Amino acid sequence: MPVTQQLNMFLRSKGFQLLVVCFAVLALIPIFITDSFFLFVFTLIFIFAIYAASWNFLANSGQGSLGHAVFLGIGGFASAIIGGKISIAIIGFLGVIQMPIGALSVLIQVSVLLVGGLISAGIGLLIGLACVRLKAWYLAIVTFGFSVIAGSLSSQFDSFTNGINGFAPTLFVPGGFPFYILVISFTVTSVAVMHLIMKSRMGLAFRAIHGNEAEAKMIGINTAKYKLIAFVISTFFAGIAGGLYVYFIRFVDNSIFSPTNSFLPLIMTVIGGLGTVSGPVIGAIFLTSVGQILTTQSVTQSLSTTLGPFFPKVGYVGPPLTYLIIGVILLVIFIFSPKGLTSLFRKFYNYLITEDKGAKTS
Amino acid sequence: MDITAGTIVLTLIWGVAIGCIYMLLATGLNIIFGVMKLVNFAHGQFLMIGAYLTWAISVAAGLNAYIAILVSMALVAGLGVVIERFTFRRVLGTEKLNEIFVSLGLIYIFENAALLIWGDQSQQIVSPFSGLSLNLQSFSITYDRIVAVFVVVAVLVGFGLLIGKTKIGLAMRATSQSNGTAKLMGINIEKIYMITFALGSALAAAAGGLYGIIFSFNAQTGAMPTIIAFAIIILGGLGSIRGAIVGGLLYGIAEQMATLFLGGIWSTAVAFALLIAVLIIRPNGIFGEKGE
Repeated sequence: MPVTQQLNMFLRSKGFQLLVVCFAVLALIPIFITDSFFLFVFTLIFIFAIYAASWNFLANSGQGSLGHAVFLGIGGFASAIIGGKISIAIIGFLGVIQMPIGALSVLIQVSVLLVGGLISAGIGLLIGLACVRLKAWYLAIVTFGFSVIAGSLSSQFDSFTNGINGFAPTLFVPGGFPFYILVISFTVTSVAVMHLIMKSRMGLAFRAIHGNEAEAKMIGINTAKYKLIAFVISTFFAGIAGGLYVYFIRFVDNSIFSPTNSFLPLIMTVIGGLGTVSGPVIGAIFLTSVGQILTTQSVTQSLSTTLGPFFPKVGYVGPPLTYLIIGVILLVIFIFSPKGLTSLFRKFYNYLITEDKGAKTS
Repeated sequence: MDITAGTIVLTLIWGVAIGCIYMLLATGLNIIFGVMKLVNFAHGQFLMIGAYLTWAISVAAGLNAYIAILVSMALVAGLGVVIERFTFRRVLGTEKLNEIFVSLGLIYIFENAALLIWGDQSQQIVSPFSGLSLNLQSFSITYDRIVAVFVVVAVLVGFGLLIGKTKIGLAMRATSQSNGTAKLMGINIEKIYMITFALGSALAAAAGGLYGIIFSFNAQTGAMPTIIAFAIIILGGLGSIRGAIVGGLLYGIAEQMATLFLGGIWSTAVAFALLIAVLIIRPNGIFGEKGE
């Protein structure tokens, strides 16, 4: 089938319409919720949704990474450094003080982010080559090792990366609502592209490898090749998420390679439901909003004033108490709903349905 | 700093001492993995709690730090029993990821509870040998590091005897080979799991006591040692005790040598680079058996 025909079919398909609806709904959210804090949380949620989805994509090919922060970081550093050089060149060329913002600058922003993703995917190819023979825990610890090495390398070549003190990238798109629109366009396309790949023949190979690598090899799938492809695609999107993240919080330093950032997509994906399209997104929504709301000034402040006197050794008890609560929430979720939040929703839904049926038959 | 033969020998000894502490932690993690097929990512938090308890006991009761370690081992073993009974047992055998998540939840709980109870200041345990060191011609080494090596050897020998010579050890080995068959032979698996987890936690607490004597620690101390212990058992081969010992030594020496030759920012990275190099050549670790 020629590409144009395929594209035409895609544009008419239900999936595409769903995509447009998704985008429209997401774009409309901030109109109703004008609070800048919520806009901040929403933007962060959709950046992490890409990141979590990229992790989920890799996991669907049977590879669980514990070092995805490498790619978040490389995408972030690469796009911030390249963006910085471009903005200096433009400012010098035009002889102005500040980066002018217009239609062209949006294009520059998008291409800088894409280049960040490509560089991340390039490194992903090299790391993937090293990882292709490894399985399960061995793969997990090696990918984690790469995140440690990435942090050290970034410190070593500090004159190039400025990673020790960190720096602020120059935005090409105004922050706030316009940046939010940029983020959700990336999120909707990224999640859709990853979903489409998973639905394609290639995705079938990924899932076969995930199901049983030895059997996949037996039926003639080149497992090494497909695992590598999955690695490259996943790291490309992780790199894009990194670029968006860095431009969004307007800061990047070596702490982006931290283990916390490596565990984040895993936690989000599994909370939401591993191997599903909506899982990583739901996980990102849940974890980011819970994390952001629990750590807001007002919550930690009130916790401190009410419970502070019980813990005389700590100056400000708010943050540790909120993290303690997050820990308890995690524990409770996983002890009582072993298949993630989506399964909890499904369980609840099934419960409602069976109740209904019971009512009808009686 | 000048690099002389003396400093290299000194670094080697430091590497061995630190490697021994990691080895103890890794052995605890390894035995829990071997018997229960469970990776407890909160293992390093048991080290942290072991260190705090040793410190609290030695300060409050005025006990010798090395005796306080024994008390804290017993207490942490008790804590391990409670944790195993109320959290891990409920998710064991459901799915690997649930176990990881329960341990992530435990990390949050332990770290922040320790912070709330013991405060945000770093502590260090005062041992009877504090400030004393063995002076040789070109270098000196603190007695605490030398004692740590002997303590680790003693604990590991005791542990080896428990596994190799007692009935409980036999039951543990049987369970690690096949829990279904072990059950059919009349072994109470849940009891074995409980004992294993308590034993693993106690080993972590012992490592914590030694760690707290040599380094200062705080509530966040547990995170990196967990990953290191995990790296060590991967390096040696999952489930292999021999592997954990060799892996621990290799890791400790690599880390200290990297600090000496390349500087502090490279200490962990070089150790992990070594790990990656080993795994690329031998994907199942040094002593790991070929998987299915």
